[in-house]
Amino acid sequence: MIKIHLDPRTKLVMIFAVSFIVMVNAVSTIEWIVRIIVTLIPVFLLANEGKHVSAIRFLLCYAAAILLLKYYISAESTGILSALLLGYCGIVAQFMPAMIMAWYVIHTTKIGEFMSAMQKMHIPDGISVSLAVVMRFFPTIKEECLSINDAMKMRDISFGGGRITKMIEYRLVPLMFSCLNIGDELSAAAVTRGLGAQVRRTSPVQLKIKAVDWLMIVIFLLSMIIFVISKYFR
Amino acid sequence: MIEFKNVNFRYRGTDESGLHDLSLTINDGEMVLLCGASGCGKTTVGRLINGLIPHYYKGELTGNVLVNGMDIEKTELYELAGVVGTVFQNPRSQFFAIDTDGEITFGAENIGMPPDSIISRKDDVSSEMHIEKLLGRSIFELSGGEKQIIACASVSVLSPDIIVLDEPSSNLDLEAIEKLKEILKRWKLQGKTIVIAEHRLYFLRELADRMLILENGRITKEMTAEEIKKLTITDTEKMGIRPMILPEIQYKNSVVESEDILLLEDFCFTYKDGKHGINIPRLELPAYRIIAIIGHNGAGKSTLARNICGLERKCKGTLTMNGKKMKAKERLHNCYMIMQDVNHQLFTESVRDEVMLSMTDKALTDEQKASLADEILEQLDLAEYADTHPMALSGGQKQRTAIASGIASSKSIIIFDEPTSGLDLAHMKQVADQLKKLKDMGKTVIVVTHDNEFILSCCDHVVRLENGCIAEDNHKR
Repeated sequence: MIKIHLDPRTKLVMIFAVSFIVMVNAVSTIEWIVRIIVTLIPVFLLANEGKHVSAIRFLLCYAAAILLLKYYISAESTGILSALLLGYCGIVAQFMPAMIMAWYVIHTTKIGEFMSAMQKMHIPDGISVSLAVVMRFFPTIKEECLSINDAMKMRDISFGGGRITKMIEYRLVPLMFSCLNIGDELSAAAVTRGLGAQVRRTSPVQLKIKAVDWLMIVIFLLSMIIFVISKYFR
Repeated sequence: MIEFKNVNFRYRGTDESGLHDLSLTINDGEMVLLCGASGCGKTTVGRLINGLIPHYYKGELTGNVLVNGMDIEKTELYELAGVVGTVFQNPRSQFFAIDTDGEITFGAENIGMPPDSIISRKDDVSSEMHIEKLLGRSIFELSGGEKQIIACASVSVLSPDIIVLDEPSSNLDLEAIEKLKEILKRWKLQGKTIVIAEHRLYFLRELADRMLILENGRITKEMTAEEIKKLTITDTEKMGIRPMILPEIQYKNSVVESEDILLLEDFCFTYKDGKHGINIPRLELPAYRIIAIIGHNGAGKSTLARNICGLERKCKGTLTMNGKKMKAKERLHNCYMIMQDVNHQLFTESVRDEVMLSMTDKALTDEQKASLADEILEQLDLAEYADTHPMALSGGQKQRTAIASGIASSKSIIIFDEPTSGLDLAHMKQVADQLKKLKDMGKTVIVVTHDNEFILSCCDHVVRLENGCIAEDNHKR
């Protein structure tokens, strides 16, 4: 399959549209159709990145959640089971699409592209640099968390001796210390390489909005418009 | 030219001083090696050259530092970026980008180089350093050695006259150190001024024009290239620095008399990427000994250690000791690993609590636990820090705290993941002594390491891995 490569600006439009449409409550059929479309596109992109298993697993969960919402759960549902199912549906149908979109954006955007895109949109360097650091930190935090988890397994304290506060404390304290250290060393390394210079940053990455970008932008903006009109102006 | 004129420096918030009345001139094109024990001030000298002191790390500075005629105190960091390049110790925390291309061009983008020249500089540097294969990759999938080469390339892009390296070989295996040496050689040929602070010295023997030994922020000894080449192991030992020659490990050829055996069977494991992993159908290790696992970055050393420890549930392998066959889950209760970054395994608010946390025996009361913990701390020279917060300790003390909790957990196999990376001679020996102590307590110690000098000082048995398989398995002489 041809690998789709999107412009960071397109991705920004998409992430904004997905988060908005998916998070807001959908009622009418047209709203549901829009919502399912904007959910399926990120899932397709996920598969396009080679994560076929995750994509299929999500599709199954999503189908289950949609069916449950349509035929089982209603505003009158009560009881623990429906509450749990409602929670499940909420997470799968409302949070997961946005998470998948965020994963896709972080996973496929190179820092260089991102900086270049921000510059084209005339965002000040200060803001784009900080956002870039945030993006760079996600994989680091993941690596650190995995190591801490291993260390906890070896000490047999994964469940904090049964106390939830300890469970969280034992994870957060080492994580905070190592992120602080890494952050400090990282900024020292960055300033020795001229970050913060009083000149305009340049970028060797040439960005161009291609046909597929236009397609995505049109789909997502249209979805937003349809959704808003259907929800608030009828 | 770099000139230090009567420089005194003290880091803010500490009593110990960084540098004392230090004067030093480094000529253009010279390669100067700074060495000495941890905390001797060699890193501080590097930071004064690249301007991180006084602009990033604050403190009291008197005297003058001139770099190519610029007074460092009055020069902004970004003005120095094109003049002084720095390679840091920890590959994990010196990368700004997530991909190698972005990392290499980062400096050039910052100083506003035109896009065309950035691309041509990147191409020049990558062909010069033979790193075309590394382009377009994610930083997170590179080995430590590859990361350090990318760090060198990203410094080279700005073609600085002066290059500062702060313990660049700490996390590298022997092969990666060879590559680093090639890069240094090329920089030297290009006439760059190189200042390198290091503990491992053997790879710099032929390159260094001058060696300065620092002690408590003062230069105590200065040696020329000729003098450096003449240094023997006894000389360096006396000076308290690591040897100038890479020591060879000698092996016994004869079959060793039967002793207690640790038997590993079916240790096969592949990571999700399908490329890396280990494949060890059978391996016998002597129990109650210190066993070194060596091999290149990416050969599977850490993977083997993690699997022995039982951290990978998917591994079907078994470990037999004293007639007991253990699967991954049981191994987790019998093995304890001291990680390379010990910060990940210190959880509590005091050293004593940290040790007590490992005591899972419910029959013990808190007082009994506390007194046991104090005993263990005594053995590891940590008694005076029992009430200190683990994060306030020095690196070596943190490591000993982790060892103490390993002892407290009364597990029989203790595994170390590169315990001596970035350690000076004295600290390396200290770690070797800790390992011997553990052996005397009847523990089996397994060490993943690149450090030949360390292996010589304490290990009994050496296993070499290559591409996830056992390449050599020998008793050390």
